Amino acid sequence: MGVIYIGDRFSGKTHLAMELANPKCNHVKVVSPSYDQLKSMLYDEENSSTKATDAAKSVYQRFIQLQVTLPTGNKQISVDWLDTPGEIWRASWREDNPKEWEDFMQNIRSSEGVLLIMSPYRESLDSHPEKDLYITQQQWINRFNRWVDFFRHECPNLRHILICLNKADLFCEEFSREAGKLAYKPHGAGMNWQQRQSYVCNQYFRPVLPSIEEINRSIRGLSVRCFITSVHERSLLELPWIYLATFLAT
Amino acid sequence: MKDLGGNIGVIGPRSSGKTTYLAALAYWPERKLERKQKSAFEIESSDELEANAKIIEKAKERILEGSSFEPTTVAGGIDDLDSYMFTIKVKRFLRPPDPINLVAVDYPGEIFNELVNGESNSLHEEFIEKCLRKDVKGLLILLPGWERGSDSFYEQMIRKFLGLMDSYGRMNDLRLAVAMSKCERGEIWSGRLDPEIDLFNMHLRETTAVLRKKLPRKNLEFFAISTFGVLSRNNPRPNRVDEIGQEGVNSVLREPNEWRPYGMIAPLYWLSTGKRLSADV
Repeated sequence: MGVIYIGDRFSGKTHLAMELANPKCNHVKVVSPSYDQLKSMLYDEENSSTKATDAAKSVYQRFIQLQVTLPTGNKQISVDWLDTPGEIWRASWREDNPKEWEDFMQNIRSSEGVLLIMSPYRESLDSHPEKDLYITQQQWINRFNRWVDFFRHECPNLRHILICLNKADLFCEEFSREAGKLAYKPHGAGMNWQQRQSYVCNQYFRPVLPSIEEINRSIRGLSVRCFITSVHERSLLELPWIYLATFLAT
Repeated sequence: MKDLGGNIGVIGPRSSGKTTYLAALAYWPERKLERKQKSAFEIESSDELEANAKIIEKAKERILEGSSFEPTTVAGGIDDLDSYMFTIKVKRFLRPPDPINLVAVDYPGEIFNELVNGESNSLHEEFIEKCLRKDVKGLLILLPGWERGSDSFYEQMIRKFLGLMDSYGRMNDLRLAVAMSKCERGEIWSGRLDPEIDLFNMHLRETTAVLRKKLPRKNLEFFAISTFGVLSRNNPRPNRVDEIGQEGVNSVLREPNEWRPYGMIAPLYWLSTGKRLSADV
């Protein structure tokens, strides 16, 4: 039983995964593979960007060992990190690759948790010079609802869905302050999980709140948590994993 | 010193708060020590036992951090059922307390929901068999619902369960502590002082009637439990926050610093000894 890591194209999945292994960590440390190993696998030095995940393979399966520091001590989490190419969600790709699609579905049905990585929508990126590269809010809502249908119909055994609205540095007005507010500070020194969930949902997921409630209601035993993430802010990057550690760690 | 105690089952429908109750119970001794709180009883929870240690950890990681528990499921079979060991010591004047050693088992709620739906299977029956074995001294039944519709659902569930008790020959030698859980809710908090009259007679009339009719009075008691409690004596707002979840709402602890459970020990004490402690213990 592992954690599956999915999302649409260009949502920043690979970069997030790589950055998580950066040795400058707070509560979440990737024990193996090392940052350099992961970087050589995922990063294209020539183009100074992450390598696009090969669409010919439905799922890249990597074994990652995480150590999360919680108030009760260090927790080890073994993660079967499944990185999927963006193309997998296209109907044409599924028709052309029925075997790969079936493999992928088997993986997702047996996984305990899903991290869904989403890009922001155009209207939330006020002054970003390349905001036209991002989908509109309405497209984003439609895309989100497709995910809801997917979870509801294909993943009835999932226990944890963590939805990460990535590239928070692009859409948060006061990014550092926001990161500080949401950072994990146990023993009542910061927000607790319920407060974070309520804040993030109301602040950043408002257009899809009814859909989030729908997933929560329709899958028994499921908990949906929403996060904002960014490779430029370690505290936000670690939050979903800290949350998962309280459930999945051995 | 007498050694009272025995095996206790904690049962009830889905989302009735069974796991949260047991986690709070296991963590409470440590919590009291940290907060330097005093009370008329002591409860010891051995963290040397793996299940206790695990649930204490979960109490700290989840209850104190505003998160909740996953539903307990039947998937792993009865071998995966967690049993927790507690020792309760009620202080007495000039005499050492009698220790009550309890083994409490957390049963998945789906077994009891399925009793009503008529979808019980052989796996469910294994759980029922374990829960009604002769070495089980008593059962704590948590019922959180007081709203319209709850009574008729519980009445059906209890009626089926009593039928099973009868088939296992346990109608006259098994104590049932029936507790309304999550009593911090404003609508029912005031009924906690006399739960039989103000909670069960008032809101779960049919369920109460069937229990009274079928069971010897000495083996039946009614309780009120609030694992989260209220904010303070002068501020009876529930120390909980509700969020949307699979059963409508999930509840999490609101103010960890103000955490004072209500009525956690009294039902266990009665199940073990047949004697009632004061209501708020």
